[in-house]
Amino acid sequence: MSITSDILRGHTEAIILSHLLEQDSYGYQINKDIMKKTDNRCELKEATLYSAFRRLEQAGYIRTYWGDETVGARRRYYSITEEGHRAYQSYKRDWEEAKATIDQLLT
Amino acid sequence: MQEKIKQHLDELFADAPKTRKAMELKEEMTRNTIDKYQDLISEGYQEDAAYQNVIGSIGDVTELFGDLEEKNLLTLSEADRRKKALLTAIAVGLYIFAGVVLFGTTLLADYYAINNTLALVLAGLVCIPPTCMLVYASYMYPDYTKREESLVEQYKESRYSGNREKAVMTSISSIIWLLTLALYFLISFTSGGWHVTWVIFLIGGCIQAIVTLVYSLRRRN
Repeated sequence: MSITSDILRGHTEAIILSHLLEQDSYGYQINKDIMKKTDNRCELKEATLYSAFRRLEQAGYIRTYWGDETVGARRRYYSITEEGHRAYQSYKRDWEEAKATIDQLLT
Repeated sequence: MQEKIKQHLDELFADAPKTRKAMELKEEMTRNTIDKYQDLISEGYQEDAAYQNVIGSIGDVTELFGDLEEKNLLTLSEADRRKKALLTAIAVGLYIFAGVVLFGTTLLADYYAINNTLALVLAGLVCIPPTCMLVYASYMYPDYTKREESLVEQYKESRYSGNREKAVMTSISSIIWLLTLALYFLISFTSGGWHVTWVIFLIGGCIQAIVTLVYSLRRRN
C-alpha cells in the first residue's frame, strides 16, 4: 500500500490534469471522482491537492476562476490550458514507457 | 455547523501570511469542506461525525503557507511608507519650530514693541502647515478598489476603510484641540479674563463629541 500511495503522490499533477481534460472542476469534486474511480481506495490529502493546484497554476497548465455563489464562500474552478494539454500528453507517454519498463523488469 | 467549519479554517489560517493568495486559499478550502460536509450529511452521517470527518481530512495546512508569501495588500508600499514618515517628521519639526517662535517672540517682546498676542498668532500660523501635512499623510493609504464581490474583498475593504476612518478622526480631533488651545491663549491674553476663559476647553470637548457623532452617523448611512 505504501508503494501505491508513494507512486500516486508522485503523479498528483497528472491525475488532476487528466480530470480536467473531461471538464472544468473544483477541489472537492476532483477528490470525489478519484475516490469513485478507485472504489474509495485512495483519497488525496488536502495539502497535497492544493499544493499541486498551485504548482500547476504557476506552470501555466491550469487556469482558475471563481464560481458565482452568492451566499458564503465561493467555489474555485480550474480549467486546463493548451500547455496543460501538451504537458499531459508527454506525461502520459512517460508513464506508459515507465510502466512497460517496470513490467519487463518485474517478471 | 457551517459557521463552525468556517471558524475552524479561520483558526488554521491564523498564522498564514496575510496575503490575497492566503485568503483565496482559505475561501476555496472552506467551500470544499462545506461541500464535503453536506455530502456526508446526505449520506446519513450524524452532524458531529460528519464534522469530525471533514476536519480530520484537512490535516496540516502549514506546509501550504510557504507558497502564499507575497506583497501584503493591507499595508503601505515601501515608497508610500517612506513619504509618510518624511511628512510626519517634517510636521513634528515644524511644531517644535512653532514652539521656538513662540518662545523667541515673547523674549523679544521685552525689547521691542511686540505684543504677546502677535507671538501667539505667529506660532499659530507656523502650526498650520504641519497640521495639513498630518491630515494629508493620514489619507495616504493606497487606494483599494473593490474588484470582486466576495467575503474576501469585503473583509479587505472593511479593514482598509476602518484604518482610514480612524486616521481621519484622529486628525480632526487633533485639529480641534489645537484650535481650542490657540483660541484659549489668544482670548485670554487679549481680554485678560483668565478666570472665565477655561470654559473654552469645555466648548472644545463639546465640539469634538458633536463631530464624532456626526461622523459616525454619516458612516452608518
